[in-house]
Amino acid sequence: MVKEQFRETDIGTVISHVQFTPFSAKDIAKQATIQVINRNLYLPDSTHKACPYGVLDHKLGTSEKDKKCDTCQQDLATCIGHYGYIDLELPVFHVGYFRACINILQMLCKKCSHVLLTSKEKADFLEILKRKNIPYLSKKALRKKIHEKAKKNNLCFNCGDFNGVVKKCGLLKIQHDKFKSAKKNESIIKDYVESFNFAKEFNKEIEPLINRSHEILNPLRVLQIFKNIPEDDVPLLLMNPDLAHPKDLILTRILVPPLCIRPSVASDFKAGTTEDDITIKLTEIVFLNHTILKHKAQNARIQMIIEDWDFLQLQCALYINSELSGIPLSMQPKKFTRGFCQRLKGKQGRFRGNLSGKRVDFSGRTVISPDPNLRIDQVAVPVHVAMILTYPERVNKSNIEFLRKLVMNGPDVHPGANFLLQRGTDMKKFLKFGNRAQISKELKYGDIVERHLIDNDIVLFNRQPSLHKLSIMSFYAVVKPHRTFRFNECCCTPFNADFDGDEMNLHLPQTEEAKAEALVLMGSKSNLITPRNGEIIIAATQDFLTGAYLITLKDTFFDRANACRLISSICAYEDSNLNFDLPKPAIFKPVKLWTGKQLFNLLLRPNLKTETKINLRTKGKNYTKNEDLCANDSFIVVHNSQLMCGALDKGVLGSGAKNNIFYLLLRDFGEKYAASAMLRLARTASFFLMNRGFSIGIGDVTPGPKLLKAKQELLNNGYSKCDDFIKQLKDGKLQCQPGCNPEQTLEAVILKELSVIRDKAGDACLKTLDRHNSPLIMAICGSKGSFINISQMIACVGQQAISGSRIPDGFENRSLPHFERFSRIPTAKGFVENSFYTGLTPTEFFFHTMAGREGLVDTAVKTAETGYMQRRLVKCLEDLCVQYDMTVRTCTNDIVQFSYGGDSLDPAYMEGKDQPVDFKRVLSHTIANVLTRNEKPLSGSQIMTIVENTLSNNEFRECSTDYLDQIKEFMKVIANGVDKTRRLFCVKEDDTAIPEVLFELDRITDSQIVTFLTRCKDKFIKAKIEPGTCVGALGAQSIGEPGTQMTLKTFHFAGVASMNITLGVPRIKEIINASKNISTPIITANLLIKNDAEFARLVKGRIEKTYLREVTQYIEEVFISDECCIIVKLDLERIRLLKLEINIDTIIDSILASKLKIKPPQITAISDQYVKVNPSAKGALHDSMLKLKHDLGDVVVKGLSKVNRAVISMDEKKANEYKLFVEGEGLKEVMGTHGVDGNFTTSNNTIEVFETIGIEAARSTIINEIAYTMTSHGMSIDVRHVMLLADLMTYKGEVLGITRAGLAKMKESVLMLASFEKTTDHLFDAAFYGQEDEIYGVSECIIMGKPMSLGTGIFKILHNHVKKSQPITRSLLFENPKFHTNQLQLDL
Amino acid sequence: MADDEGFDDFQEEEEEFNEEDQEVLDDLAEYEAEAVEILAQDQVSHMITREKRITTPYMTKYERARVLGTRALQISMCAPIMVELEHETDPLEIAKKELKEKKIPFIIQRQLPDGSCELWPVQELIITD
Repeated sequence: MVKEQFRETDIGTVISHVQFTPFSAKDIAKQATIQVINRNLYLPDSTHKACPYGVLDHKLGTSEKDKKCDTCQQDLATCIGHYGYIDLELPVFHVGYFRACINILQMLCKKCSHVLLTSKEKADFLEILKRKNIPYLSKKALRKKIHEKAKKNNLCFNCGDFNGVVKKCGLLKIQHDKFKSAKKNESIIKDYVESFNFAKEFNKEIEPLINRSHEILNPLRVLQIFKNIPEDDVPLLLMNPDLAHPKDLILTRILVPPLCIRPSVASDFKAGTTEDDITIKLTEIVFLNHTILKHKAQNARIQMIIEDWDFLQLQCALYINSELSGIPLSMQPKKFTRGFCQRLKGKQGRFRGNLSGKRVDFSGRTVISPDPNLRIDQVAVPVHVAMILTYPERVNKSNIEFLRKLVMNGPDVHPGANFLLQRGTDMKKFLKFGNRAQISKELKYGDIVERHLIDNDIVLFNRQPSLHKLSIMSFYAVVKPHRTFRFNECCCTPFNADFDGDEMNLHLPQTEEAKAEALVLMGSKSNLITPRNGEIIIAATQDFLTGAYLITLKDTFFDRANACRLISSICAYEDSNLNFDLPKPAIFKPVKLWTGKQLFNLLLRPNLKTETKINLRTKGKNYTKNEDLCANDSFIVVHNSQLMCGALDKGVLGSGAKNNIFYLLLRDFGEKYAASAMLRLARTASFFLMNRGFSIGIGDVTPGPKLLKAKQELLNNGYSKCDDFIKQLKDGKLQCQPGCNPEQTLEAVILKELSVIRDKAGDACLKTLDRHNSPLIMAICGSKGSFINISQMIACVGQQAISGSRIPDGFENRSLPHFERFSRIPTAKGFVENSFYTGLTPTEFFFHTMAGREGLVDTAVKTAETGYMQRRLVKCLEDLCVQYDMTVRTCTNDIVQFSYGGDSLDPAYMEGKDQPVDFKRVLSHTIANVLTRNEKPLSGSQIMTIVENTLSNNEFRECSTDYLDQIKEFMKVIANGVDKTRRLFCVKEDDTAIPEVLFELDRITDSQIVTFLTRCKDKFIKAKIEPGTCVGALGAQSIGEPGTQMTLKTFHFAGVASMNITLGVPRIKEIINASKNISTPIITANLLIKNDAEFARLVKGRIEKTYLREVTQYIEEVFISDECCIIVKLDLERIRLLKLEINIDTIIDSILASKLKIKPPQITAISDQYVKVNPSAKGALHDSMLKLKHDLGDVVVKGLSKVNRAVISMDEKKANEYKLFVEGEGLKEVMGTHGVDGNFTTSNNTIEVFETIGIEAARSTIINEIAYTMTSHGMSIDVRHVMLLADLMTYKGEVLGITRAGLAKMKESVLMLASFEKTTDHLFDAAFYGQEDEIYGVSECIIMGKPMSLGTGIFKILHNHVKKSQPITRSLLFENPKFHTNQLQLDL
Repeated sequence: MADDEGFDDFQEEEEEFNEEDQEVLDDLAEYEAEAVEILAQDQVSHMITREKRITTPYMTKYERARVLGTRALQISMCAPIMVELEHETDPLEIAKKELKEKKIPFIIQRQLPDGSCELWPVQELIITD
């Protein structure tokens, strides 16, 4: 075969931009092939043929297989369809442009059609409008401005005519109330009224109506006005005169779409066909046209024609948008129809259902099941699936023999082929029939064979909901019998899959390019790590953890046979011929025995040639104390891939951690080693468990007598305590908690008491249970279940809670009819003292179901809520991408961040907490790795000089100075440590008398430091984010995905009990929506004097709202013979205690300033404790006295009005430091309060912070609040994601929410906005403005089928032409001067 | 599974924010319209010379993926192979080998946001992994 030329996929016809315009009548006629005039669909005879010039005329294309198009003579598959048109007898409004029409009318003079602006104003605006490339947003704003200006003028500057208010009246009708704004007696009105004089004489009835008269602007009139608009005024309406004219906004002609988009469906059961809604609507419109024509011809009454006209208007509106509101009952359509708007809108609509996401070929879906023997980058595909999915492989030299074989096998034998596309022909040959032997012989280079899916093909594997990029990954296919997709359980976590009937999807990429991209970027091996926080996500789970734990237990030993058998289970795939260096047995006599730990080492490093040496020191799940001497053997030390101590558990093997063995392999040696170690563990652990056996029996959950006794004691204790509390409440002796009433206090203390019971029961379980108890083993190693689960099974189910409190009284003052009214005892409020083993009593069972249902409801609500949040996040952030200059920009080149996350580091490569390297680990790893027996250990100062020298090397210039400083700081700590040790043992550098061994303490040498520094540098360079990464999408997913795992409604105490703040999904929603009113606004105020409780109380008094009633002993009315008044007695003691800065004078001032309307003479201070207030003279004395007495108490005497309350809180860590939490708004006022440190005062209300402090403060509030919410749910997210979100929300200079309103301000593209929400509104708007949409963003590119400019699309690939070396030009013989002689001449 | 179905219902949410939001097209945009004129970007993309290149000398994984894919496609269409083969038949494997030996005859044209671009022949890039 001759080499075919490579063609880039994105050349050819490329859509550069999309232009939106209204469709003018002229253009419609140009587009159309026929005018539709016949109102019948089919000919009346029984032939069932479409009427010529009817809506179903076959000139409009074809929708049936056996009929050809009459215009182009092509069949269903090839005819693209042709348009027709209907001329309307009377013009009607277009629903989409109706609002625009009103707007324009408001700007125009109804007589002369000029824009109601002075010529100066017009010129000014036209000057602005002359500019090219006015942004869409500015266009909208300009239009609004012009509209507002023009609307105000009611006298036309051109013709001087009077203009009134134009507004909508009823459905699709516009009224012009000409004289509404004019004064009653102005001459124009008089003239107007007088013009009716003649009519009045003949018809008395119209007289009362004249003053109320207003003009209805019917479409005909509006069309006339629009047509008269002078050419120069069109731009002032913000329409583009080159593209459209306002008259196009009125429908005079309707386009009839081709048949193929509104096919008629012939049904077999009944005669005739079912027609599409559009077809029906069109026939109705044609019919109405006819009626109007008829009535006109008959000179029918004007009302009849108007009625027809209204109906035509309605039908034309419904044709476009069938969900009109406000249709009068008599005209309401009988059944729902789908108009064009409905076809575009919503999830199933054209935009979201067919353009942004499409149905695909070459995909499959079936149930999944586990297979621990598969590699982690493999998926088993059933043969049935493999024989249907095909890959078009091109025949070339290296594969022709192989493909011949496949073609021979045909479609029914597995490695076969279904179709053959011969080069140069368009025909696809189906290989089921025909002479396959012949065909395969004739196979030539360049043919394309659609072969079956075979082993090692690259497939994409996906599970819905696809919440993050790890929900779709590429795997190598392995064709296997049976009917399920199978994969290694390690890969469950990213998909969030289990095997209880889950189904998954499989796609087969169809080109080499797609395959390569899938393999490199989406491969499961390349995605072991989640970009959310850089933790490992594909790691050992469930059985593997149990197995690994059991193998590495201290008392697990294997004899030679068993050890070899276990270790040989590793041998598979590339490890089949692996050499093992079995270490020396741990026990020699009486038999040779190997410990499980020794065998585990072989998984990491099977033989001494393998280079994979990792080092790890970490606490396990059940760590007690004393490091490696931990009683539970739960301190894990791995030294050069030798497991020294510790039983392995979830912390070091499972997903979601950074001190994970596989993580270290991945980071220090690469994904290949991590993946193969994972496979080895999977195989060994499952092999071990299969032999050992692991299951649960009833014996595992039977409590022993000791446990029963302990439990009974606990219960009795707890119950009696609860009874005590209840009794205390009854006697009124219960000490209230701050901010709670006695009832709430009781609930709180009882809840606390009861939850302690379950925890203690759990502890008792742990103590009494056998070491070999299966549930216990699972809980300890973290493979499944928790200690609480065990205690629920064996000892006590515990308190059932609904929304965080005990079961409420749902049945007249009690929870269930089984209990006494107002009973507060534990059993009556949902405490379950039985265990699942003993069985629940009926009431307990009922309580349990109540709590269970709450969980179910919660998850159901949550999925919908977080799903929508995720969609919004992704839509807003999808086009953010790191450019080659390391800035983060949107598709329109707006800069969002100058460097990603401030340091341009990739969150996926963070080994420490938000840092690229965990120095301590790398150093200890280096020291263990790099053996330098003959180098001298260094002292502290020597270390520092080496560090300084190395870091000043050229190659370290690529690291940021911040990072280098971090390294230096870390090394300084190490150096100081060395010095300290040496000082401790009095080791001096030049003292020869000191034994050599003392130098070995804290040994660190030259080459170790250099290696360490190089490793740090390499890791840093690797951690730099790569240009092209779509950080926006990653960030959106990283914030959205954990949302699904958060429980929905959570409250949390902010430092103090009784002060709640919203958390969980609702809080995240509030933040990203940029809501103005958040549910729990809290201002955190630091004080100028921090460690003074008195001072804190003083400031609290200044802030918190204090009512008069709170600082008085009494407010009493006094009636004496000559006077009645109200006496207020202040509680001076209380004022002093509360540290309120008020006295009698300030109180009088506050009373005067309040809304009570008390005048100064009414009020007198009797002493410094008594205030006398006289009631006002107006009204009944008694009433006003009572009212005054009541209202006086509510006067605010001190504090900020917007603040609900303030609470002093003591810092948890630093005792004796006080802070104020202020509930409510008014950040500015709080900051200004004397005693508050304004520099360290902030609110959790983003908008308020923005308005008081500014945009940068708002940005950091967003970052802090999201980070706080996430961490309080135990979710860790790299701060860079949150930063990006906050930057996007604030980069325009105001806080924009991640909502449709915010999105409209961030993005200009119409297609993008239309594919989000309010589809049709955006489209009509765009048409009105004549918006030109350039295809840049992600959404637009997907809709248009263009490669987008991020990821692999951010650069171009050119061919590197090898310069052909020019052949050496040999000089001609006679050009060589050597041979030039004069001899010849001489001879002559 | 239930997850697939429960996912469909977020449409109702959309109606929550209403027309009020639409009206907030405020002074900022207006101001912008009057004060600022956006000039069309200079379409002429200029090359940056070899010495003045600023982008990373490392090959990004996106470049790697695309180079491999494009090369694999060429190989599958019978392009001459630049390395010695040892039983590899899969075009992608061959492309990987070529990349390892830096024999792929491509130039990567990196486009910077200001419209200029840099040329990086594959041979000059540092390939990790």
